[in-house]
Amino acid sequence: MKNPLWKRLPRELKSDFGKYIVIFLFMTLTIGFVSGFLVADESMLAAYNESFEKYNIEHGNFTLSSKTSESDLKKIEKKGKVRICENFYRDEAVDADLDGDEEGTMRIYQNRTDMDLVCLMDGKMPETKDEIAIDRMYADNNSLKTGDNIKIDGDQLTITGLVALSDYSCLFSDNNDMMFDSVKFGVAVMTEEGAGRFGETHLEYRYSWQYDKEPKDDIEAKEMSEDFLEVLVKYGDVTGFIPGYANQAIHFTGEDMGGDKAMVEVLLYMLIVIIAFVFAVTINNTITKEASVIGTLRASGYSRRELLIHYISMPVLVTVIAAILGNILGYTFFKDVCAGMYYGSYSLPTYETRWNADAFILTTLIPVALMLLINLLLISRKLKLSPLKFLRHDLSTSRRKKAVRLPNFKFFNRFRLRIVLQNKSSYLTLFIGIFFANVLLLFGMMMKPLLDHYQEETVKNMIAPYQYILNVPEEPEEDEKYTVMGMLQKFLTPSLKTSEKSAEKFCMEALKNVVPGKDGESITVYGISENSEYVSRELPSDGVLISDGYSEKYKVKEGDTITLKESYGSEEYEFTVRGIYDYPGALTVFMPITSFRDAFDKDEDYFNGYFSQEKIKDLDEDLIAATITEDDLTKVSRQLDVSMGEMFQLINVFSVILFALLIYLLTKLIIEKNATAISMVKILGYEDKEIISLYLTSTTWVVVFSILFSLALSTWTIYGIYGYLMSSFSGWLTLYLEPVVYPEMFAMGMGAYVLVALLQFRRIRKIPMDVALKNVE
Amino acid sequence: MFLEIKGLKKGFGSGDSRTEVLRGIDFSVEKGEFCVLLGPSGSGKSTLLNIIGGIDEPDEGYISINGEKTGDMKEKALTIYRRKHLGYVFQMYNLIPNLNVKENVEVGAYLSDKALDIDELLHTLGLYEHRHKLPNQLSGGQQQRTAIGRAIVKNPDILLCDEPTGALDYNTSKEILRLIEQVNQKYGNTVIMVTHNDAIKNMADRVVKLRDGQIRKNYINESKVAADDLDW
Repeated sequence: MKNPLWKRLPRELKSDFGKYIVIFLFMTLTIGFVSGFLVADESMLAAYNESFEKYNIEHGNFTLSSKTSESDLKKIEKKGKVRICENFYRDEAVDADLDGDEEGTMRIYQNRTDMDLVCLMDGKMPETKDEIAIDRMYADNNSLKTGDNIKIDGDQLTITGLVALSDYSCLFSDNNDMMFDSVKFGVAVMTEEGAGRFGETHLEYRYSWQYDKEPKDDIEAKEMSEDFLEVLVKYGDVTGFIPGYANQAIHFTGEDMGGDKAMVEVLLYMLIVIIAFVFAVTINNTITKEASVIGTLRASGYSRRELLIHYISMPVLVTVIAAILGNILGYTFFKDVCAGMYYGSYSLPTYETRWNADAFILTTLIPVALMLLINLLLISRKLKLSPLKFLRHDLSTSRRKKAVRLPNFKFFNRFRLRIVLQNKSSYLTLFIGIFFANVLLLFGMMMKPLLDHYQEETVKNMIAPYQYILNVPEEPEEDEKYTVMGMLQKFLTPSLKTSEKSAEKFCMEALKNVVPGKDGESITVYGISENSEYVSRELPSDGVLISDGYSEKYKVKEGDTITLKESYGSEEYEFTVRGIYDYPGALTVFMPITSFRDAFDKDEDYFNGYFSQEKIKDLDEDLIAATITEDDLTKVSRQLDVSMGEMFQLINVFSVILFALLIYLLTKLIIEKNATAISMVKILGYEDKEIISLYLTSTTWVVVFSILFSLALSTWTIYGIYGYLMSSFSGWLTLYLEPVVYPEMFAMGMGAYVLVALLQFRRIRKIPMDVALKNVE
Repeated sequence: MFLEIKGLKKGFGSGDSRTEVLRGIDFSVEKGEFCVLLGPSGSGKSTLLNIIGGIDEPDEGYISINGEKTGDMKEKALTIYRRKHLGYVFQMYNLIPNLNVKENVEVGAYLSDKALDIDELLHTLGLYEHRHKLPNQLSGGQQQRTAIGRAIVKNPDILLCDEPTGALDYNTSKEILRLIEQVNQKYGNTVIMVTHNDAIKNMADRVVKLRDGQIRKNYINESKVAADDLDW
């Protein structure tokens, strides 16, 4: 015969429908989102991984200062054991909205037929010189579609298609950038004739390579790229060298997808654990209420196991059904939502949905197992008591504790404190839940102000409105200086001089820091002129200043020694840090220009850049390698806002719902637990407002305390995880927690609580007096 | 006349399943009187007590205390009525489990402007040394004494006791009855006690016997004995 206790389950569900439905919906939606996320992540990651073969993605690229000869290319290919193809591009100013202002940069390639093939996502490839196919992501962010026109370098072109370039799944214009920029930077393909219309002014001689024998892993790839660089430098002036494994435009997407997956899984499990605790606390309360029934059943021969299965079956059933329905939603609805989020950040090729066994296990078996395990642990302890103890309502698992003596507060306050002490486990679960919700909420709420603050600080602390990085022409060798050829070379070399009055010379070198066990990241070293108008602080002659971004990220302080090495070489440099310079947005080292020239073995009049208040108009364009303006420095915050803005909102909403849900479930439990006492005080003549004041004030205390304490604790947690989160980015965003976020979070938490409290007012009012009369324990 | 009960009727359910629990009850109790409502299970004595206590409503008839009719009272007024006039003692004590003995008594004291001195009362109840204990650390008798303390600390006009000894052994029951007697004599509260223990009628001033929702006997007990002399 089937266990008749099963018949209680639908009745239990019906009698506490409100509780089960909110838990069920919350779990279903969360599991649905996570399942959808994992399916989209896995499917898109598979499409991304396959793209390496499908689109024949390069193993690296290098840029030369000029076009190299066919014969040199052959030699490089032979000695470097690689295959090379031209991948020249031009960075041209673009006016996407045709308003006459150029607001971004388009990197234009010729259509590729060998390496780094292009995925056409909409429309068709360009066929005439007036046609262009642009990156789908850039098009989305600038509201462009197939058939629209854009102006590039003043020429109007028609967009014939939207594409994803396989070597630009992430739109990094510079591999040293901390963040990509899919709003103001795009990539595009044109016909050979079309690309040629822009001349050679901005032409970059980039070559892509593939090894004859593909490296097994990043370690081998690193070794092979170092060997290849040694070969390469013998044949040309290398101005850029990006091995595939280090190319952010190619690999950032894959790494980010993997990182997101781990984070989302951890969030799901934490949530399941919290809900499992809520269930366990609720079931423990039911067991207390049903002690006589349990005692009788046990005395009649029901085993402990049968009762245990009975009591844990509801949470497990709810989790199983939520997991199944969540997975169905995940594969149908949420998959597209999550894919949309990825497409909102990355320029990915098209993907096909894949059945993901991992996602199924992670979102079904593990949540059910967690729910089962936690409830088994917490409930089986209570059910171990003897039948007699149940019959006597003596359910303390430990020796009876004495009542805690309370100070001589007012009676109502002592009463409330007793409620807090009585419901320790519920309130502890509530605190953990509020803490978890607040960590999420703080993360969601801090990011927008953090990005705004970063932008403000970066603009405020910019060294100069314009920074020009120059292509310094090669000087004739020492022994050729006074020969005819040498003098001719010097004569023909364009001048680096400018008449711009605000211009100030500086030296700059991009090095890498040496981090044990990791690849270093790009550190910009400035040599600053004496009595500089732009770097006001006095620079030490016996060391360097580092930016506060550098100091914060790598925990470097005054007196420490930093080691930097050449980006494409093995030379190492050591500097003693003599102070921290207020330059938050970058990883930068400052030293006097004379020290710079000494350290890097440069001529005494060497410089390779200008700071300037105004645009410099009299420099040959070919001499300007890059211009760093406000837009370049603030693209991190801009892009993060575009990519993650909606996600931050979603996190905020999720946190507040979680917050309200936990408060609702646990206050409901506390009131139900005290129903007899509430009924009794009603009989004694207490008014509803007094009862509410007794039973809800204690919860209010706990909620207020939990919010305030968890605000401090979540700040501390964010400080802990922020460094870890940022360590995967190159560069640094100073952690800034805008003070107004805290009152906002407090208000949101209290707002959610007030709503729940109103529901609980009704619940208290509705407790009838006969609860106490029927209580014949 | 302090408490007057007139034409009280009460039924539960509807149609065929309707049961008339009280079928027209009339009696009155004087101030300070010790009244015992006696009857077998299902006679309606607890329902009558609940109606007197303002936690249940009659279908017909009324209750009047000092001329104030409870039937005219709304929810809030009934709460004030209970607060002002009544103390309640139940068979199962109904103490608040997370409050200690003294705090449970304070629950009652809070409701009154003329509450008795709590420590003195705890001495009277023999609970002073147990005042910091929680209900689950007390014996049944101690719990019932605490419940009595909670009921009388506000010095109510009427003390309603619903089978106060129903869950206790003989000796403890006598101890509780002695206490109620002592309270009645010391503070002059009217006591209405529901019981099915026939022996208890001997300590009452008035005995009302119920059966099938009707009063079978209502008389003044001329041969009242002390609780100590009861035997059953």
